[in-house]
Amino acid sequence: MMMNLDDDIAAWAATVRLPDTQAAAVFQQIVATPAPGPPAAPRLDPSWWRHFTADFTARMVSSTRPVRQAV
Amino acid sequence: MDREAEFGRLYEAHRAAVHAYFTGRTGDPQLAADLMQDVFLRVWQHLEKLTGMPDGRHRAWIFTVARNLSVDAHRHQHTRAGAEQALAREPPPVLQPASTPVIAAERAAVVGQAIRHLPEPQRITLTMAAAGEMTSAELAAALGVPAGTVRYRLSLARRAVAEALDRYDDPAENT
Repeated sequence: MMMNLDDDIAAWAATVRLPDTQAAAVFQQIVATPAPGPPAAPRLDPSWWRHFTADFTARMVSSTRPVRQAV
Repeated sequence: MDREAEFGRLYEAHRAAVHAYFTGRTGDPQLAADLMQDVFLRVWQHLEKLTGMPDGRHRAWIFTVARNLSVDAHRHQHTRAGAEQALAREPPPVLQPASTPVIAAERAAVVGQAIRHLPEPQRITLTMAAAGEMTSAELAAALGVPAGTVRYRLSLARRAVAEALDRYDDPAENT
């Protein structure tokens, strides 16, 4: 039986090629993976405002306390 | 940007070539599918970077990842074990008279065995050309070698396969 070398190599290639069904399954598995989100923007600690107002209030109270006069 | 559609376009354009590369490298189409999945997972994770590139750069980027991944896999001996298992699974060619489809299947097995015994650069190049249906220029870009080197490797590989088929066609003459 005479066959062309290219035909023989193509016949072998068909046996090792990834079947479309398996390729589709791989695709579905990959796209089901969560995509990486954008990098988080730098921001202040959420407790910053609470600490700031507490500190500010404490300073305000202490600064308005009447000073004891020497007799 | 529709991420999935964009990824799908890249996947369809390059999956056969990447799978053929790993098949040539490992000798095992199933292990090649696992490695291909790892490559495209990285594509999925870095899709924004890839979509910013001109089309011609995609293949180079993807094959850089593939080559690095392959080296890692070799480091862990997975690919070597896969190649040996694939070799062990390969049935020896049957040499009695048979029908045309059986003869075609036998010849494909002879081709497969001959390719498995090629030096790795020739094996990868021929597998990518045949199973990945890539041109010499595409192979050169993917493998990072000159197109002349690709053509030389293909020529040597095809000659070795042709000799194996000659021995199969006429075993008496070649003994």
